[in-house]
Amino acid sequence: MESIETYLNLYHEAIIDTDRDRALRIIATAREAGVKPEEILSGILIPSINRFMNELLVNPASLAQHFIGSQIANEIVDQMIPLFTSSPEMTGRIVIGTPVGDFHGLGKKIVSGYLRANFIDVVDLGLNISPERFVIAAIESGAEVIGISSMMVHTARGENGPLGVRRVLRERGLEGKIRLVVGGVPYRFDRELYLKVGADAWGEDASAAVAVVTEQIREARKR
Amino acid sequence: MNGMERLNAALNGTPADRIPIFCNLLDQGAQELGVSIREYYSNGELVATGQLLMREKYGYDNLWSLFYVGREAELFGSRSTIFADDGPPNVGELVIKTLHDIDRLEPPVPLMDHPLFAEERKCLSILRSEAGGRYPICAYITSTMTLPVLLMGMGSWFSLLLSGPDEPRQRLLEICHRFFVEEVKAYREGGADIILYSNPFGSTDFVPAHFFQEHSLPWIRKDIEAIGTSGVVYYCGSARMNDVIDTVIRETGIGAYYLSPLDDTGEGKRIIGDRALCCDVVNDIPMIDWTPEKVRQEVRSIIEAGKPGGRFLFGTLVMPFRIPAENIRALMEAAIRFGSWE
Repeated sequence: MESIETYLNLYHEAIIDTDRDRALRIIATAREAGVKPEEILSGILIPSINRFMNELLVNPASLAQHFIGSQIANEIVDQMIPLFTSSPEMTGRIVIGTPVGDFHGLGKKIVSGYLRANFIDVVDLGLNISPERFVIAAIESGAEVIGISSMMVHTARGENGPLGVRRVLRERGLEGKIRLVVGGVPYRFDRELYLKVGADAWGEDASAAVAVVTEQIREARKR
Repeated sequence: MNGMERLNAALNGTPADRIPIFCNLLDQGAQELGVSIREYYSNGELVATGQLLMREKYGYDNLWSLFYVGREAELFGSRSTIFADDGPPNVGELVIKTLHDIDRLEPPVPLMDHPLFAEERKCLSILRSEAGGRYPICAYITSTMTLPVLLMGMGSWFSLLLSGPDEPRQRLLEICHRFFVEEVKAYREGGADIILYSNPFGSTDFVPAHFFQEHSLPWIRKDIEAIGTSGVVYYCGSARMNDVIDTVIRETGIGAYYLSPLDDTGEGKRIIGDRALCCDVVNDIPMIDWTPEKVRQEVRSIIEAGKPGGRFLFGTLVMPFRIPAENIRALMEAAIRFGSWE
């Protein structure tokens, strides 16, 4: 059996090359060679996502690379977790969606794959979600974090976006207990925008979102 | 001098009173006319009138014939567009829901006489009669490789583009190319001087460098060989392009490059050299909250980095609806002041 590091390098290379079939073959080969399901996640998927995060400032991955990395992560998580010897301890839960008027779902889809690979439960509400629905879904599912992905300036800044979620959280006395995270194009071009829309944090890209959401789950659990 | 003379001077490296200034106040035209965004875009006469009024009001050098980007999806048969009160419309129905839909997809050609293009035709006709030859009329045309996003959504297109299957991917690209060529022809016949070739898939922010070389570049070459380089501006949305400019210049001869605010202006200018026009843009997304003084500082810094040596155009990115009018005025004052050659 090759070392887990070798499989990781081969896998990450396939993701860099946006070669989905090759990446899946490497995971299959690792499994056939005896790599445990737990190690597929902890030794290959998660470190590959971390490499993207570590290179964010010097050599950021392209959207296509994140797309393939996340798509495979989703697929492998679904295959591996049922094979774990014991049920994995989940880090926490997030409800995620796009705000009212925003029909661009790719960002949240990519983020979801990375979060799931890092043992964060994702409740994907879909597109065009009202502030009330975000909050109710978070309460009902016991999520510590609400994540809102916006592609357009007016949906990021509108009253029915994060600002509206902040308002509903305040009205229900849930600020602090449920944290609000945002991401998407407008935030990359206005790095203070997350504060203006009442969010607790933002993620520069999908790989960075993992650390941000993990930190916010930790903050919520302190309350 | 008028806008067309300034643009030509910048393209040719000849003297002018100042650098050309391009601005895209699209949805703001509705506000200017006191109508909803939905009503505004339903009528080519309103769009033309709005654009002429905005140019007069602020004094920039170009005119837009663009309604909204999702219009191209409507031309392919999308029956739903979702309008907002304070921002651009969204595509509400994807015409390709499954790969089988690609088998039945037909581009709306010929476009010029197509009923769905009637309002664009009306808009172009008014712009041409009112300002043709004096102010460059800009058309926004989505490239072959990017157009499928509007037809099937970004995720589905990424999946088909990166992982196949080959046959529907190739067929879709061929259909989009046929439409692209027809659309450029229709806009040029209607009076457009500038073709903003919108191609985020021609940026390494979207696809890795190897993919750009192997897949994006051949389609860029094919697109440009079909339409020629006249008036064509290379544009990757808000994505960066400094990594690919040299290749695109050598492979296609496109004569103008509209950078991302995330690109380094000085580096872009150096790469382009005297081979083409460098267009740099202000990051206008935070401009909603800036003070007029902050707007002036940002504009000054971009122009000071790009203007030396000429062959430079100052532009804007998305100009969100909520930017206060005083900030737009500050932008224009600063661009005129710091962009002046006299």
